[in-house]
Amino acid sequence: MSMRLTDEELFSMHKFYQFVRANSMSLAFQGIISQDILSLVGTTLRKKPNSEIVSKRLFSIVVEMAQNIYHYSASRAYSEKDKKEIGVGVITIGENKDHYIVNSGNIATAHDAISVAERCEYINGLADEELKKFHKKTLREPQRADKPGANVGLIVMSRQSENKLFYDTTVINDQHTFITLSVRVSKKLFM
Amino acid sequence: MAQLEIFFIKGSTYIPTVNFDPGTGILEMSGESYHEYTIEFFQPILEWLNKFLEEPNRDVVFNFKMTYFNTSSSRRFLEIFDMLEEYKKSKNGNVKVNWYYKEGDVDMLESGEEYAEDVDIEFEFISYN
Repeated sequence: MSMRLTDEELFSMHKFYQFVRANSMSLAFQGIISQDILSLVGTTLRKKPNSEIVSKRLFSIVVEMAQNIYHYSASRAYSEKDKKEIGVGVITIGENKDHYIVNSGNIATAHDAISVAERCEYINGLADEELKKFHKKTLREPQRADKPGANVGLIVMSRQSENKLFYDTTVINDQHTFITLSVRVSKKLFM
Repeated sequence: MAQLEIFFIKGSTYIPTVNFDPGTGILEMSGESYHEYTIEFFQPILEWLNKFLEEPNRDVVFNFKMTYFNTSSSRRFLEIFDMLEEYKKSKNGNVKVNWYYKEGDVDMLESGEEYAEDVDIEFEFISYN
């Protein structure tokens, strides 16, 4: 029996390797991104050669993205641990010359994708002080039915990155859209 | 009313250590908090606190020693501070929050300052190395 990989398998791993290398990605996750994986990410980020605050901010951004995916992704998989279906998606941590870049991608309902995009636009339009006010106001709003979060994840991502939120949407079909969120943290912060 | 017992949760990577002592009035939380089911995790904490704050005139010190918490937890902490503020106003409680932050952790300090701006209770900010 031949144990050789098919050409297709070899090719896709090579492509994946090249892609990860080209984008200096140190971490990439696909699937259920549980709190156990998050604590591993936290440990890894603390070893990065930057200030402790930047590491904590990157970690915080990953946690907010992961928990958005966990609770709201339209693509779901059964979790033995949770005994229910959990949202799946992808998260990568990479960097270029100037920035650390945390990306998340997941399938969302068309409706959710539009509201995330609108919320990013709204947040991006606010100056620092306004964003702080919006953060405080939103935190005081009543808990939304069937939504476990505080509805401030995107606000905190923007405040912690001290940057705008980058996003992109790819319509898959009438019901579903793939949404990519990209948060960039300058390497110059706290240097 | 049955005597309220010490409320204790031993922390782990993503849940904080909780140590609420009804005898001394010292409430302490430390560590990190990013449980996926934050509402469920905080529920018994808030219930215990509700019972504890039924009795008026207590001296309450909340030692906040968290090093990281997610946004979902940030909302639960706001609820706790609101409860303490209400206790001060309506039950003559003497409430103080000691907010600990690692020296240089401007984010943790700022989080505390933003709570302090929004609730009418005394906050002291204490840095450690």
